[in-house]
Amino acid sequence: MTLADARARVLRLAVAPIDDVADAALLRRLARAAERFTPLVGLDPPDGLILDVTGCAHLFGGEAALVQTARATMHRAGVSTRACLAATPAAARALVRFSRLGRVAAVDQAAAVAGLPVAALEMEPEVTQALLRAGLRDIGDLANRAPAVLAARFGAEIAEKLDALQGLQDNRITPLRRPPDCLAERHFAEPVGDMACIEAALQRLAGDVGGALERRGVGGRRFLVTLFRADGAVRRLTVETGEPCRDAAVILRLIRLKLGSLADPVDPGFGFDALRLSAGRLEPVTALATRLDAPPLADDSLSALIDRLGARFGREQVLRLCGYDSHDPDRADDSVPAQEAAEPPLMSAAPSGEPPLRPLTLFDPPHPIDALAEVPDGPPLRFRWRRVVHEVARAEGPERIAAEWWRAGPAAPTRDYYRVEDAAGRRFWLFRQGLYGSDPGLPRWFMHGLFA
Amino acid sequence: MSAAAGGAVYAELVAMSHFSFLEGASSAQELILTALLLGHAGLGIADRNSVAGVVRAFAALRELGEGGSLPPLRQRIGSGPGEHVLVPPADGAAAEDMRALILERARCFRLVTGARLAFADGTPDIVAHARTRAGWGRLCRLLTRGNRRAPKGECHLGLDDLCADAGDLNLILRPGRSLARLDDTLGRLGEVAPGAVWLGASMPRRGDDRRRLALLMQAAKRSGTPLLATNDVLYARPEARDLQDVLTCIRAGVPITAAGRRLEANAERHLKTPAEMARLFADCPAAIAESLRFVETIDFSLDQLCYDYPDEPVPPGRSAQEWLAELTFRHAEARYPAGVPEKVSCLLRQELDLIGRLDYARYFLTIHDIVAVAREKGILCQGRGSAANSAVCYVLGITSVDPAAHDLLFARFISEERREPPDIDVDFEHERREEIIQHIYARYGRERAGLAATVIRYRPKSAIRDVGKALGLSADVTAALAGTQWGSWGSEITRAQVAQAGLDPDNPEIGRAVGLAQRLIGAPRHLSQHVGGFILTRGRLDDLVPIGNAAMAERTFIEWDKDDIDTLKLMKVDVLALGMLTCIRKAFDLMGRHLGRPMDLASVPWEDATVYDMLCRGDSIGVFQVESRAQINMLPRLRPREFYDLVIQVAIVRPGPIQGNMVHPYLRRRAGAEPVRFPSPAPEHGPADELHQVLHRTLGVPLFQEQAMRLAMVAATFSDIEANRLRRAMATFRHLGLIGQFEALMVSRMVARGYDRGFAQNCFEQIKGFGSYGFPESHAASFARLVYISAWLKCHHPAIFAAALLNAQPMGFYAPAQIVRDAREHGVAVHPVDINHSHWDNTLEPDGRGGLALRLGFRQAEGLWQEEADRLVAARRAGFDSVEALAVRAGLQGRTLRALADADAFTSLGLDRRTALWEVRRLPAGPPLPLFAAADAPELGAEPDACLPAMHPGEQVASDYQTLRLSLKAHPLAILRPHLDREGLLTCAAAVARPGNAFVRTAGVVLVRQRPGKGTAVFITLEDETGIANIVLWASQLDRFRRAVMGARLMEVAGRLEKSPEGVTHLMAARIIDRSDLLDRLWQAMPADAPGLDPAQRAWHPRDVRLLPRSRDFH
Repeated sequence: MTLADARARVLRLAVAPIDDVADAALLRRLARAAERFTPLVGLDPPDGLILDVTGCAHLFGGEAALVQTARATMHRAGVSTRACLAATPAAARALVRFSRLGRVAAVDQAAAVAGLPVAALEMEPEVTQALLRAGLRDIGDLANRAPAVLAARFGAEIAEKLDALQGLQDNRITPLRRPPDCLAERHFAEPVGDMACIEAALQRLAGDVGGALERRGVGGRRFLVTLFRADGAVRRLTVETGEPCRDAAVILRLIRLKLGSLADPVDPGFGFDALRLSAGRLEPVTALATRLDAPPLADDSLSALIDRLGARFGREQVLRLCGYDSHDPDRADDSVPAQEAAEPPLMSAAPSGEPPLRPLTLFDPPHPIDALAEVPDGPPLRFRWRRVVHEVARAEGPERIAAEWWRAGPAAPTRDYYRVEDAAGRRFWLFRQGLYGSDPGLPRWFMHGLFA
Repeated sequence: MSAAAGGAVYAELVAMSHFSFLEGASSAQELILTALLLGHAGLGIADRNSVAGVVRAFAALRELGEGGSLPPLRQRIGSGPGEHVLVPPADGAAAEDMRALILERARCFRLVTGARLAFADGTPDIVAHARTRAGWGRLCRLLTRGNRRAPKGECHLGLDDLCADAGDLNLILRPGRSLARLDDTLGRLGEVAPGAVWLGASMPRRGDDRRRLALLMQAAKRSGTPLLATNDVLYARPEARDLQDVLTCIRAGVPITAAGRRLEANAERHLKTPAEMARLFADCPAAIAESLRFVETIDFSLDQLCYDYPDEPVPPGRSAQEWLAELTFRHAEARYPAGVPEKVSCLLRQELDLIGRLDYARYFLTIHDIVAVAREKGILCQGRGSAANSAVCYVLGITSVDPAAHDLLFARFISEERREPPDIDVDFEHERREEIIQHIYARYGRERAGLAATVIRYRPKSAIRDVGKALGLSADVTAALAGTQWGSWGSEITRAQVAQAGLDPDNPEIGRAVGLAQRLIGAPRHLSQHVGGFILTRGRLDDLVPIGNAAMAERTFIEWDKDDIDTLKLMKVDVLALGMLTCIRKAFDLMGRHLGRPMDLASVPWEDATVYDMLCRGDSIGVFQVESRAQINMLPRLRPREFYDLVIQVAIVRPGPIQGNMVHPYLRRRAGAEPVRFPSPAPEHGPADELHQVLHRTLGVPLFQEQAMRLAMVAATFSDIEANRLRRAMATFRHLGLIGQFEALMVSRMVARGYDRGFAQNCFEQIKGFGSYGFPESHAASFARLVYISAWLKCHHPAIFAAALLNAQPMGFYAPAQIVRDAREHGVAVHPVDINHSHWDNTLEPDGRGGLALRLGFRQAEGLWQEEADRLVAARRAGFDSVEALAVRAGLQGRTLRALADADAFTSLGLDRRTALWEVRRLPAGPPLPLFAAADAPELGAEPDACLPAMHPGEQVASDYQTLRLSLKAHPLAILRPHLDREGLLTCAAAVARPGNAFVRTAGVVLVRQRPGKGTAVFITLEDETGIANIVLWASQLDRFRRAVMGARLMEVAGRLEKSPEGVTHLMAARIIDRSDLLDRLWQAMPADAPGLDPAQRAWHPRDVRLLPRSRDFH
């Protein structure tokens, strides 16, 4: 059904676009939470997870209990689930998607699979359609027939899929993540809630990771701390650096800064039962043999400072100025996070040989002045600024800049800018606000800036 | 602020209209009116590499000079006759007060026309204005060259192109920001156009204006080029700055917050008063004076574009008039083998005389030439329009309606005084029109033939979408706003619609977006080719107007649209496509083949009473124009008995007569329930029967566009010009204060001439009701002819008619299922698609009772291609005896064979769909192995019996609908009937047969779903195995049942029956339930999520509906 069609049927239809990115992110988040049950968690996009729990069930009190616990964990995360445990991934996937069993079907899996509709094979729609046209409705109908007869009509693939579904052929899952290149873990016998203990553990982990990085001649630019809480919540902290890094002290300091600056502090709740530190974005580090009397490298210290400030206050808080494309001089600059690659400033420059268009100093807000000028839009002849009267010797203008009408609030009056030089050779940037005769009370004059 | 008061005399020469797409923000009309009011001496319109807007400016100036106010804008809403709305100019009312001033100024105002050449090679823009007719031709050729080498909508020009031939053009160089290469360019231009180059200077308030002006003055002096003051205008008034900013954003595809310095810094690029311009150019008063000198050098106006029709059709040494007369009398003898009746030859002489006086001979000859080619190629065609209603056209074979027999005389439709170009639209078979178009290009050459343009304008939906995006509204909000538009043709976005989208109309951002979108509606967005309006010329067409490439390969079109062409009185030929002609051609072919009776449009027997009997019953599925539900309901009321009744039938079910409330008075008079009387003027003012002459054929009720005008001219003695103004004003009565003016004028004149005041008032009310929607009688007559012919075919040769209709798809109103059903109800045996009997097209077979049976063709099946079907038929010989034989001999492979099996086409082999499919899927996908093929031997070994479950009837029917969109086995509801019976639902036939006012419950598949115009009711047609039921749901109830009404494929309705005296029955719905889920029961044992019946798909036209007929949605 198209959206227009749906809207025709329901007038006030609430519509939200499908956000594949967010859905995928959610799925990955859930996958990470599921890593507590087994290291082998596979994604089954768009909306499924496959866990290989071989040898894990006893830790959770048996298969049924494992399924129960896993569903409960997902439920706490606000996600309703259907779950099924079967002997092979293919059967589990088909049962959970195409039957309403929703329970462990390990014992009578063959019967359960036989009752699945042919759509569970997930062949091309055309093939599924053809099977239905032939009157073959469920897997049982197919299983009774000679594989060669089916393969002749629907391709060899159908036999494979049928085998996989029936558990005659076993395909293992591809886990979501291969273990990180460099990782250190610490499991506690009892959940730990004391932050001091946690920091101590982190220090050990930082040392382990830093050592591992050094042995490999690389440094990490992203360090990930994973805190597994006893009740299933997973807290992850990321610190990033501008340069590859492997110094345990530096890593630990950045993590500490991060921990100290969290808007919502790490809540140990019932305590953490595992900690993990991994390093990512590995880049080679060439050890520099600097001379003992060499001056400190300026670039290094600036980026180190930006890293530290960023880790402490958040990357949105450490800014760098740049130009912004607008006619309005008040809005012609902008700021971006300093950790982002700096772009060349977008400032309007006069063509070479021309006088500068914009002054070096800008007053914010502009200073109101008294000025005498010819109507309707002549340049000022004389003006008084900071109680000093200036006689205008030369003037150029007006440069007329209208307000940005699309911005909220009442529209500002148009400004006429003049570059003027007084009798003493000082240069000013003045403007008249409001066009003559357009608004009562206008125009008014302002000093907006000074040329060198 | 007149020229005298300001002391300055000035003409703006560089102005863009909104035909500089997404750059200029004002219409040419607005620019002209504003310039006039500001006291400019003239205005130069120059759009970016285009002259598409200049005709509008020309027309606007002419209107201002004649009437002192701007005409409403004509916006086409479809390609049919009369399908346009008139939109009043934004400030028409204000202009009203200043009429005298405008009239006076318009007379000496000079319009300068040209184009702004934007170069691809970095040269700054040069505005080129035509100084003479020759200059105009050069400009058009230059633009044509740029257009033809670029993809559609672009124009690639270099300075060299201009320099190659720049004579007779006035060039204004608009220097860019950098003046570096100015001297070079000026020098070069000075060489190629000595004395005709100006350096344009403007004062845009960029700060360095005066310094720059000084530099330009020096440059001008160095090169000996005069400096010309301009303001480089983008819009008429400063208030349009925001709209222009939005256009810039749309063009650049950026939201306004990111547009930055792509936008103009200020609102200065509007038309300024001469005094203000003089003040700005105080440093160089000569530049202001130069503008007047520039205007005085111009010796060109668009009315010099005189137009010559091609000579090709006239043999050398003959005059066109002579030749037309000779052809006419030669053909007349063929048309009337028994001798030309005296009445006809007298009429022919009169018409030829009129044609001679108006110099239309070559026009008629050109049309005749095209029609003759069509006849040679065996393509059916028929002309319509004012000039088509002539005996000349009839004898020349352009039309098949004998005007003498039906009082549709040429002279009635042609005004000698107005000198409007004649109008003939020629409809061709839709499948073969392209042949005619390519013939025209081939015969006249691309430099002499071109299609007219269609201006694609902003409609509410596209306007709000683009503005929303430019203002940075989220896609959701924009989509919601755009989604509230029921039809795309409304020209307003109301508060209610905004609220309906779930948005707050008082929200400033929404309000701003809606306001800007409102202003954008109607602005041109781009040019596209017209569906078939050709301009042919004797000389070069690109001397008249630039030609550009169309999106379609092998097509070129000119920059002007139909209205521009009308304004300049150029003559055009409309080469249009009509599906019904294809159908009739195919029916005639079948008649020739199976009945040995060759036919053409003129040889269908006239006025056959059984045909009218059939139409009176409302039995008209498939018949041209009268097959919609509204027409079917009208037929038993109007009871057509002769040809002219069909002319009325075609015209009466239209928004004009319906909204003008003329349908019921006409029906009452026709039924004799109301006296037909024609008041007379006082004897001294005119003949007593003057109104009788205008209205007697429609029983005193004006039903046609032409009648409304005649009424004003005859009864109220409106002059031609007054009638024209009335025609233009009609649609805009609501917006402007014009209504009282015309009403007073018309009523007082009629009263003065002795008419009763009440009657005069009533006449005016009727004209008013007409609005802009009226169907012209001159077109209705030709359509009526096709109504009659298709009805005659359906009545006497239902099998042939059904086969032709199916073979001409897509066309008409109904899906194949209804066409086949209708044929069977008329006693035609219909046979299924079969590999041993079918062809690609639907064919006819003897039915064993001396009649013809319809054999469905492979074209009805999904997934089959004609080329494969032809191969199958060619390889058939004595027939196929096995699936494999078919595969090998016809060289068909997997997909095709599966499609054939899906269509259940193997029944003659004793294989039902399921078994056939099982067999077919086993065949190898590739071509047969050479060894087996050579031996013609079966490649496959034996296989055990598959023992597939038998297909039950529901499955069969559902599969039929999936693969053929129809089933000959049963109607889906017949399968579901036991279930419906249990629920106590009546069949449609049984429900309709109950007495009036009975309360009934019935169910059926939804065939049609319509909400006509601003209708207060929704009409739904249900169908089941017994017949159809017409449902009416009051719009007030719609919200309650919206989901069911809009979504149901199978619908249950409960309500009361209402029966009209003519036997039309409606079921007034009190409750509507969506029962589409029942359709899934056809598959019975199938699980719910299996791909059974597809979910309802969106389809806008009944004949396009999928699977089970869903209907035309509201629009």
